[in-house]
Amino acid sequence: MADNNVYIRKIILSVLGFLLLIFSGISFYKHRHLEEHVVLGEGVTEVKKLSDYFDGVKGTINDCNIYILEGKEPGATLFVMGASHPEEPAGRLAPWIFVENGVMEKGRLIVVLSANRSGTTVTRLGGGYPPDYTIPTGWGEQKFRMGDRWANPLDQWPDPEVYIHYPSRQNLAYVDIRNLNRAWPGRPNGTLTEKTCYAFMELIRKEKVDIFIDLHEAELQYPVISTIVAHEKGHELAAVVSMVLTDMGEFNMGMEYSPKSLHGLSHREVGDFSDAISLLFEAPEPFLDATRGKTTREQLLTGKDEFIVKAGEHGLLFEKIDENGWPIDVRVGRHTSAVLMTMEIWTEEHPDMSLVCINVPGYAEVIENGIGYYLKDPFRANPERVIIE
Amino acid sequence: MSMFTYAGIILGVMVSIYIIAKIFKLSTELSMLAAAIAGGLAGGFRIPARHIAEGAMTYLDINLIFITATLFMNILKESGGVAFVVRRILKRFHRSRTLLFILLTLLLLIPGALTGAGSVTVLITGGMVAVVLNYMGISKVRTTAIVFIIAGLSAAAPPVSLWAMMTAAGVNMPYVGFFYPLLIPCVIAALLTIFILGWKGTGTDIEKAFEELPEPPEKMNWLRVILPFIIFLGLVFIGRQWPHSTPVIGLPLMFLCAAVTSFILSPVKVNFFKISGDTVEQLLPLIGTLTCAGILVQIMTLTGVRGLLAVSTVTLPVIVVYASLFFVLPVSEAVLMWGAAPVIGVPLVLLFNTIGLNPIVALAGMSVIWPLGDALPPTAIIGRLTVEIVGYKESYIRFLKACIIPAIIIMIIGTLMVIYSSELGFLTGL
Ligand SMILES: [Zn+2]
Repeated sequence: MADNNVYIRKIILSVLGFLLLIFSGISFYKHRHLEEHVVLGEGVTEVKKLSDYFDGVKGTINDCNIYILEGKEPGATLFVMGASHPEEPAGRLAPWIFVENGVMEKGRLIVVLSANRSGTTVTRLGGGYPPDYTIPTGWGEQKFRMGDRWANPLDQWPDPEVYIHYPSRQNLAYVDIRNLNRAWPGRPNGTLTEKTCYAFMELIRKEKVDIFIDLHEAELQYPVISTIVAHEKGHELAAVVSMVLTDMGEFNMGMEYSPKSLHGLSHREVGDFSDAISLLFEAPEPFLDATRGKTTREQLLTGKDEFIVKAGEHGLLFEKIDENGWPIDVRVGRHTSAVLMTMEIWTEEHPDMSLVCINVPGYAEVIENGIGYYLKDPFRANPERVIIE
Repeated sequence: MSMFTYAGIILGVMVSIYIIAKIFKLSTELSMLAAAIAGGLAGGFRIPARHIAEGAMTYLDINLIFITATLFMNILKESGGVAFVVRRILKRFHRSRTLLFILLTLLLLIPGALTGAGSVTVLITGGMVAVVLNYMGISKVRTTAIVFIIAGLSAAAPPVSLWAMMTAAGVNMPYVGFFYPLLIPCVIAALLTIFILGWKGTGTDIEKAFEELPEPPEKMNWLRVILPFIIFLGLVFIGRQWPHSTPVIGLPLMFLCAAVTSFILSPVKVNFFKISGDTVEQLLPLIGTLTCAGILVQIMTLTGVRGLLAVSTVTLPVIVVYASLFFVLPVSEAVLMWGAAPVIGVPLVLLFNTIGLNPIVALAGMSVIWPLGDALPPTAIIGRLTVEIVGYKESYIRFLKACIIPAIIIMIIGTLMVIYSSELGFLTGL
């Protein structure tokens, strides 16, 4: 009798386990294979692949699209990178608006929407993240993959017991071997993440990029927030951009020097290993805070959270927050405005190497119209101008 | 409904279901699973298959390390290697208790210090050291306490301290300057532990010990015992020394290489598949606990319970935070394991940084206290593993009582390191 009971219990548990496998498996599969449409704006003159610059990433999940917006007149080259950390959606949606709307009058713009593409196919273990989020638009809803800070272990595994950064040999936490923003400048025969960084370095060198901007978001409890982190080559540029943005009164933007002792980060290594000026922009994302409440799509997109407000009342935050939260439109608007302002200030200083971009909304416009207003309907667009990201 | 009420209700539901499950004599792992599912239901997430599966994978790597390292130890034991080593150590050092203690402390500190996991210490040297301690006349319960406490300290000891690394990563602080702030308290506390708990034992009864110890196979020798360790340490060393010209193979495969070496070198015939099966069976409760702890953390995060606990901790008055570290850190460890670093560690370090303490020394102080929680339910992973490996058969509460004195010493050291972190800033060498 007892044996029989054990037998029945084993069958029931196996069936439950199998059901869990099926239902979670479907969710994981759909997440990893969710197709995001990019409608190429009239400014996009060419779409390349990352592997065009370095063969080592060909056939891997990280062989992302490279959008090139060649200006009508020559000028400098600006490279804007999104999804270095795919759990920071504003860092991905802001460059998305550039690709679908931007037109370069002068100079050249290179845009990446999924720098760590592997990281856009996985969510944080233990984090309770939603697998996707949707932005309302005039023609319906557009769905995006939510990602993680690190590459998917399906693409790079196992991790070592300690991550030793190349070439500085600085010791970092083992998981950061899958963190794209700890693997710069990368190397051609390294891990997938290191190869990806190396490929971007090749792109930066071959396309003679003058300014490199890495778009991020940060938790409010993190001291580096609402700021530009600048390599010493970009101190002057960043200082003026932050000053003008803040003085215009639209929003506060700080400026910090890239520390020499922190290795693997883009603002340090891209500047050190190429001729480009490297900058990193941080916007506030309450979703990343350890004290956040319920982990939902709504929290991700509105940035409203009572617990974080409470932490703020106790002086634990480096950015203000109230019951209005930090809506995604505000965060994306900060990034588009900061990128546009960087072009403007650069052009003032370098009239012979201008960067002039039109049709991209700044802070006030993005907030007024919402991001959805600037996302194009892929089903009504010319199919030849629709790319899967 | 405010988020505080909502998360508070779910926390209440989860705790109640956990207690009820325990009353109905469900195992720890199933009780945690029940609490997690109840939390998901109460939170309006129905039964979130994706989150359950994702949470279950959180500690996959650690589970693999457990399995492969234990397999290695079991093969070594089966081949007679363990008995051989214990006999030789006793024969050589039985005259000096002090020297033996220092040697055994080192044996216990090294594996965890290198890998960051106290479990690895317990699995690799814990069993062997326990046998030696037993023959030194130290009771089983005190032996278990010694192995557990020093294993915990070994995990906090440099170069790899996962709590410090994960918290540092969470606040984007480089993992630099931690070596002495971690090493000094760990070594001091480990020596105090073994001398306080072990000193009173009866003298080493070498005759009786040799009578009772199993006789190792005749062909067993130092080379056969040490070579598998050399393979393991060699692989770790190569990965450290030439990280950019060797492939990353990970700790589980390194342990497996050691296990295979030990199997090949065994002077007696060992049944590899039977030992593998036994190993998994032996570890099943631990693997189950880790898997379910992962699910529990994921659901707590999903429903905001994790946030409630974190925000409640960091918004206490600073004096209360200091005074409660000894309690909050071990409890967070018991519930979340390494998950405690991002949940409690990150907000606390940011809090300490804001009020002008030295974040490196403060975090090192916290890292020393954290592992004490590994003996506490609901997870009690390392505690249960130690009990298992040492072969302690009596009440778990008695084991916990035996840990109290060294635990209090460690709590005091850690808390003082936090409070006086600015004054101790010179330890970082920065
Ligand atoms: Zn980031």
